[in-house]
Amino acid sequence: MKLSYRWLARHVDLSGLTPEQIRNDLTLSTAEIEAVEPFGQGLDEIVVGHVLERRKHPEADKLSVTRVDAGQGEALQIVCGAPNVAAGQSVAVVLPGRRLPDGTRIGKAKLRGIESFGMICSERELGLSDEHEGILVLEPGARPGTRFVDAVPVADHVLEIDNKSINHRPDLWGHHGFARELAAIYGRELHAPVRRQALPADGTRVVLSVEDPADCPRYLGLVLAGLKVQRSPAWLRYLLRAVGQRPINNLVDATNFVMLDLGQPLHAFDLRMLSPQGVHVRRARPGETMHTLDGQERRLEPVDLLITSGGEAVALAGVMGGARSAVADDTSTIFLESATFHPTRIRRTSTRLGLRTEASSRYEKALDPALAEDAVHRMAELLAEVSPGAHAAGPMGDATGWRFAPRTIRLRKARLDHKLGVTLPVERVESIFRGLRFGVQRCTEGLDVGIPSWRATKDLTIEDDLIEEVGRMHRFDNIPPVPLTGTVALAPREPELFLAQRALRVAAAELGCHEVYHYSFVPDALLAACRADGQEYLRVANPVAPEITRMRRHVLPSTLGAVAQNLRVQPEVRLMEHGKGYQPERRDAHGLPHEVRELGIVWARNAGAEPYPELRSRVLGLCARLGAPATAADLHPGGDLAWIHPGRTVALRRGERAFGYVGVLHPHVAANLGIPPTTAIATLDLRALLAAGVAEPRFVPIPRFPSQPVDVALLAPSGARAGDLARFLREVGDGMVRDVVLFEAYRGAGLPPGTKSLNFTVTLGAEDRTLTAADEEAYLMRVRQRCAGLGVTLRG
Amino acid sequence: MDGLREQSLAAIAAATDLAALDAVDAALFGKNGSVLQLVKGVSSLPKEQRPAAGKAANELKVALQAALEARRTALREQVLAADLLAPDFDPTEPGPALPRGTLHPITIVQDELVDLFSAMGFSWQDGPEIETEFFNFDALNIPPEHPARDSMDTFWLQGGHLLRTHTSPVQVRTMLRFPPPLKVIVPGRVFRQETVDASHEHTFYQMEGLVVDRGVSVANLIHTMKTCLQQILRRELQVRLRPGFFPFVEPGFELDVNCPFCSGKGCSVCKHSGWIEILPCGMVHPNVLRAGGLDPEEWTGFAFGMGLQRVVMLRYGIHDIRLFMGGDLRFLRQFDTL
Repeated sequence: MKLSYRWLARHVDLSGLTPEQIRNDLTLSTAEIEAVEPFGQGLDEIVVGHVLERRKHPEADKLSVTRVDAGQGEALQIVCGAPNVAAGQSVAVVLPGRRLPDGTRIGKAKLRGIESFGMICSERELGLSDEHEGILVLEPGARPGTRFVDAVPVADHVLEIDNKSINHRPDLWGHHGFARELAAIYGRELHAPVRRQALPADGTRVVLSVEDPADCPRYLGLVLAGLKVQRSPAWLRYLLRAVGQRPINNLVDATNFVMLDLGQPLHAFDLRMLSPQGVHVRRARPGETMHTLDGQERRLEPVDLLITSGGEAVALAGVMGGARSAVADDTSTIFLESATFHPTRIRRTSTRLGLRTEASSRYEKALDPALAEDAVHRMAELLAEVSPGAHAAGPMGDATGWRFAPRTIRLRKARLDHKLGVTLPVERVESIFRGLRFGVQRCTEGLDVGIPSWRATKDLTIEDDLIEEVGRMHRFDNIPPVPLTGTVALAPREPELFLAQRALRVAAAELGCHEVYHYSFVPDALLAACRADGQEYLRVANPVAPEITRMRRHVLPSTLGAVAQNLRVQPEVRLMEHGKGYQPERRDAHGLPHEVRELGIVWARNAGAEPYPELRSRVLGLCARLGAPATAADLHPGGDLAWIHPGRTVALRRGERAFGYVGVLHPHVAANLGIPPTTAIATLDLRALLAAGVAEPRFVPIPRFPSQPVDVALLAPSGARAGDLARFLREVGDGMVRDVVLFEAYRGAGLPPGTKSLNFTVTLGAEDRTLTAADEEAYLMRVRQRCAGLGVTLRG
Repeated sequence: MDGLREQSLAAIAAATDLAALDAVDAALFGKNGSVLQLVKGVSSLPKEQRPAAGKAANELKVALQAALEARRTALREQVLAADLLAPDFDPTEPGPALPRGTLHPITIVQDELVDLFSAMGFSWQDGPEIETEFFNFDALNIPPEHPARDSMDTFWLQGGHLLRTHTSPVQVRTMLRFPPPLKVIVPGRVFRQETVDASHEHTFYQMEGLVVDRGVSVANLIHTMKTCLQQILRRELQVRLRPGFFPFVEPGFELDVNCPFCSGKGCSVCKHSGWIEILPCGMVHPNVLRAGGLDPEEWTGFAFGMGLQRVVMLRYGIHDIRLFMGGDLRFLRQFDTL
């Protein structure tokens, strides 16, 4: 919304205050002013001229040669290209050697052989609008040579308000409302918004009725006659231009002016188009239609509020007038509507039809019904000024008899001081409220504050709202900061969060993973590529794109989606992602779907060694670092993890409880995504990890007697599992085995086909003695005897 | 004997490295070494010549051993000296490229903020990303039909729940879970149905904070926020607090910092105002306290909601918000600190 400095100055004395100051002070106390721009500046060198004579240019059809008296002694010969220049006009002239607002210097020129001294200006050249169809024709009256800025006051500054910062202040959607704030901020006098007009007690009146006062708490009407539709005077045109409105004619401009002045939208109907039955405000009936002012045919619904006359819709209440009853150039009598509508009703209709107007955006804010009456008087006064002879033809009609019910809110001084954190003298608080024009009465606890009608519709309802008024007018920056004090107690911890933080740090430092973030939604194509298409997913009803409706169940498909693009720019990619997966089939106590917290890891390489073995070691290391040393000795059953290679992925477990997996990507998924089939993946379910038990290391006494390493090479079928054999080697040791480590799995030349050699180092030791060669022999003997049962043989 | 002495001393002096010297040593004192032969040869001399010859031989032996030792020491020192000069060892050559992982810049800043607030006694909490309408709106004093519901374009799920549009629901959840006094921070992912461009995302991060105690005031809020911002933006800064309207706080504020790009003089980043809007905050609305089961007569609180991406962009000078969710390693690997 735009505000004109000059327009504000009509309501409150702004002498000595620059637009920048006002911008700053309003931002700090009231609402955000986004920008201040000059308007109508740079016109000091323009003068008023009278066109004495005009003739066609002999050499050019589109040009005229004029003689203009610009108060310089001799009349000037000016060649002009405008179609509307004529003798007798008052125009705006740039004298030769002087400048236009944009800095262009106008001099002597020769246009098609005829000399031209100076220029007659269009509005666009004056920087007042985009009108450039013709020259600006002024109202007659000013003497030639008068400075333009003295004849037509336009110099102004325009403040741009961020509408979001006044959504909660229905009283600020017009200049008077802001003037009221400025009066409070600077302690200046505020001029009354209206001079009440004497309206006839009798005469032409329109019968008014409202179906439901809840929809329309106030509906006022006035018949105004004797109108002559013509151009508005310059002062009105340029105030409207300054705030970005286009002047149309004196009638339309007057209604717009009152709306922008007081914040109350008005609507004028051509009285000829209304039925003698009067005006009735009601909801639309199913199937009803109407033609709105913008030329569109609208289908209406029972949620829409209508202004009707003679059974037919003449306006979409609060949003837009009807085409048929709109004022025309020959309108001489109007019915003026000034009303208050229920904000939600207007909002619903406006949203439904996609029609946002200056009027509807004000009605949506819950206007003060008292304003409707002020607006009627203001309009009557203004119309008489801009259309001499216009007058009220009858009394003001009132369909609902609304009266303001005054309200008081008690503000306890102790609570004010306590909440602000600073103690203000009660006189200061009183003067703040008086400055805002609130009634104020002292009481034992503090102040009883009378809320005026313009703040009573929604903004000020509770004591805390008054505390905000005091705070903002005093300026929050004037409150000295005070550190918090309080109890020193251990705050409740959420262990999952700390676990995730540590896991990310270890994975960055030791696994070399780069953390990525992805959206919680997964594109259908990616889920299909990961073979996870047929599972149950939560779906977004209003997605960003129709092919991205599903919420991921697990983190890893998102991470996998980033691999290919990165492998194009570097040969190895190590990614990790910490985030949530959403699973609809499980619900919590409130019925909300289950959320899992996972750390997903992907390692992919274009060439070189397969990532899995190293990732496996690193992931087990990560688990140990988190206090959850895990085993990875049996295949993961799969479940809904459709992207894992079923034969090459192991479950991470502590005891019986599984909390993740490490393995290789499913070859079909790798092919679908265009990434190497050796790509290794892992996921830790952090909550499950915590549930499986996190423990501190426990000291085990250093053995007193030395360890004895023994090499054990087992010849096993290719499909044998190292984990099983390691377990065997430990068990067969009768408590003498301190550690079993596979240092090589050898496949290849020298071995019978279908076999591999698993080469272990078994560390033997006893608590009570140093082992001997005999002990080693005995162990190997037991291994040799019992390993046949597992289908393996001891080599060597 | 003199001949041998001359020859041997010459050979010792001529040895250019330890290997050559070892060879001379072996020739003189090794198996069949000439000096040993000489000493052995003394016993085959006539008896009256032996004492003199033996003495001379021994002197030769000692002298040559001393010469060998001296030369050995000299050669070793030469090796060490050469080592110190080492012209063909270039310590400025890069070593092997070792994989080094990184945290996402939002994680880095979030962790710092968590640390900062933990140092002030705040508890790090979390809440569900999929929320009920009640916790996301109603409990926060945003009834149906409230225009604030429009300004937060909500993602709705089939089945009736929504994706939380802010981290504020966790305020009420926390108040229902833990008795006051409370100091809580909740960083988290939030969702708004918005068109993605260089400064807007539909999935972004906020850091919510809530303090509830007896006697918590606006003065406390200003102090806490200023301290936090100074730490996180790493500079002395000016802040200004101006009115802002949000349904769940009263009074509500917008906290601005002076623009770091132009030091408050005005530039395109701060839209020529000299200030950057960074932190909506305010005193918790009594209705929200009640939704959390607390009596607003006894307890007051303040709350704030920082846009984490905005802070991260200011901290690192990142110009395009889309980079955060883009998964491009050329962006991610730039944030190397742990």
